[in-house]
Amino acid sequence: MARPRKFERIGIANRGEVAVRIIRACQELGIESVLLHSSVDEQTAAYRMADQTVCIGEAPSNQSYLNIKANVRGAKAAGCDAVHPGFGFLSENASFADAVADAGMTFIGPTPENIRLFGDKISAKAHVEKSGGPTIPGYQGEQQDIEKLTAECDRIGYPVICKAAAGGGGRGLKVIRSRADASEQIQSAQREALSAFGSAQVFLEKYLDHAKHIEVQIFGDASGRAISLLERECSVQRRHQKIIEEALSPSLGDELREKISFTARDLAERAGYRGAGTVEFLLQDGEYYFIEMNTRLQVEHPVTELVMGVDLVKAQILTAMGQALAWPRDLKPRGHAIECRIYAEDPYQGGMPSVGKIVAAHWPYGPGRRFEVGFEPGDEVTSFYDSMIAKVIVWDETRVRAIQKMKRTLEDTIIFGVRTNIPLLQEILSHDEFVRGTMTTRFFETHFPKGLSFGGYTESERKFIQSVGSRLGETPSSGGSEANPWAHSWSRG
Amino acid sequence: MNWITVEFAGRQERVAALKYQGRLWFHWRGETHVVDLDQGRRGGGRAGGGETGVTTAPMPGKITKVLVAKGDAVKKGQTLVVMEAMKMEYTLEADREGKVGEVNVKRDEQVALGAVLVRVVD
Repeated sequence: MARPRKFERIGIANRGEVAVRIIRACQELGIESVLLHSSVDEQTAAYRMADQTVCIGEAPSNQSYLNIKANVRGAKAAGCDAVHPGFGFLSENASFADAVADAGMTFIGPTPENIRLFGDKISAKAHVEKSGGPTIPGYQGEQQDIEKLTAECDRIGYPVICKAAAGGGGRGLKVIRSRADASEQIQSAQREALSAFGSAQVFLEKYLDHAKHIEVQIFGDASGRAISLLERECSVQRRHQKIIEEALSPSLGDELREKISFTARDLAERAGYRGAGTVEFLLQDGEYYFIEMNTRLQVEHPVTELVMGVDLVKAQILTAMGQALAWPRDLKPRGHAIECRIYAEDPYQGGMPSVGKIVAAHWPYGPGRRFEVGFEPGDEVTSFYDSMIAKVIVWDETRVRAIQKMKRTLEDTIIFGVRTNIPLLQEILSHDEFVRGTMTTRFFETHFPKGLSFGGYTESERKFIQSVGSRLGETPSSGGSEANPWAHSWSRG
Repeated sequence: MNWITVEFAGRQERVAALKYQGRLWFHWRGETHVVDLDQGRRGGGRAGGGETGVTTAPMPGKITKVLVAKGDAVKKGQTLVVMEAMKMEYTLEADREGKVGEVNVKRDEQVALGAVLVRVVD
């Protein structure tokens, strides 16, 4: 174990709410923060909060947030002694971790060897199999032509999932239901993979069609010990992008919990894993299968923090400094936490992205309510980056109470200027299957295949809306029928 | 954002409301509503008023694939263009059968919201 030291200044190679999260951790630890940002991100909360800011390139990610040289140069120029990559972008890029180290700075995260082992899904699977962990049948070969991949789909048996070899987070990920749509889906996955991760390589896997997504948060401390912080359930996903996450899972008994937790911890410890990591599993019919390990902080880390009483971002920084953690040996879960991801999109238009200026926002703070937000009113949501603009996280004594709290919190959350998925989140939170906790990864596509539909307003609602409009000192312009000038202009976000 | 009190069904209702660029945003009974004050366009939807045969960009983004050329015969539901925004792919389909009258975009082009991409004619 290296001698403990203290960072003076941490560069943040990220944006949005996670940049804000890291800046706050730095502030509390008495470390300066340097935001490495793109040219369009000056109008963001993180930009205003950071001690220093360095513009590292233009808006498109490949010219800024995905540009290794620009990030390293920016961090070095600002005098950083460490770099935190957040999640997404370069967070799981071993070359970036190497480049940061080569420039004489510390990469806050696992070692480049850890990232290479788990970041490459082929070697990751091999590691799991060698460790005696359960994996799913699939194809992870180098041969990437459509004919070969289609033949492998046939061999594995449909449905088959096709995903980016280099990525995570739902990008470049497609489900192939039959031989007929294999070629189209594979090509689409390859394009998304290339665009999101710079590599078109994909791999195939048997699609478990009534499985739950269960993931275990692990943490390798500075002494080389791996710790399990138990599981999260993230079965509510759309296009393989998580929407709602919770800790712990409502579907694990003590025995299964202990088993899955041990598998994850063991995999990490055998690899000499350092820092925060998440081992993802699919759970179907009482059996669980390793899907991947994410060698970074996870979007949904707050639910684990609330239930386990830890601060994962500070733990990452302390571990990178070679310092010991203050966590008790016997970490115990308490209560229940739920996270809802707020996406800038129109749930009444099939989840179409919604861009524009956020003109007003109201967050209903209260006990056990946490808001992770990267913008302030006046800031712009652009089409350059992910549509997740905020996260709402609640903690309460039981799952039922946490659901109640989340529903009320979302009712009182106001965002004007872009549409959000909040109405859809409300529907999910009220859905029987979610309330019972029996949802699988098919939940969303089964119950909300087209998002939400809107039947229109009643006559008295229209009158009411008209009153609201006129109270603000403007009457609606002409158009529509005479009896009801608003008739053709309703939409609901 | 203004908090105002407006009567509904004999009750005083508290509403947060704001007008911005031709739209009324208001939050009432736990839900946010958006109303276009500018007639003839539904906010966030297809610009161009949903004219049949006209495929417009439903959001700003990058064109990743153009699957048809001028003169091609197309069926209703056939994919015309694939575009990417916020790192996700979206396919835009023909809303009628016909012949491609014009293709205004090429691969890797950045397009604005509402840009006319493809026209399908008789």
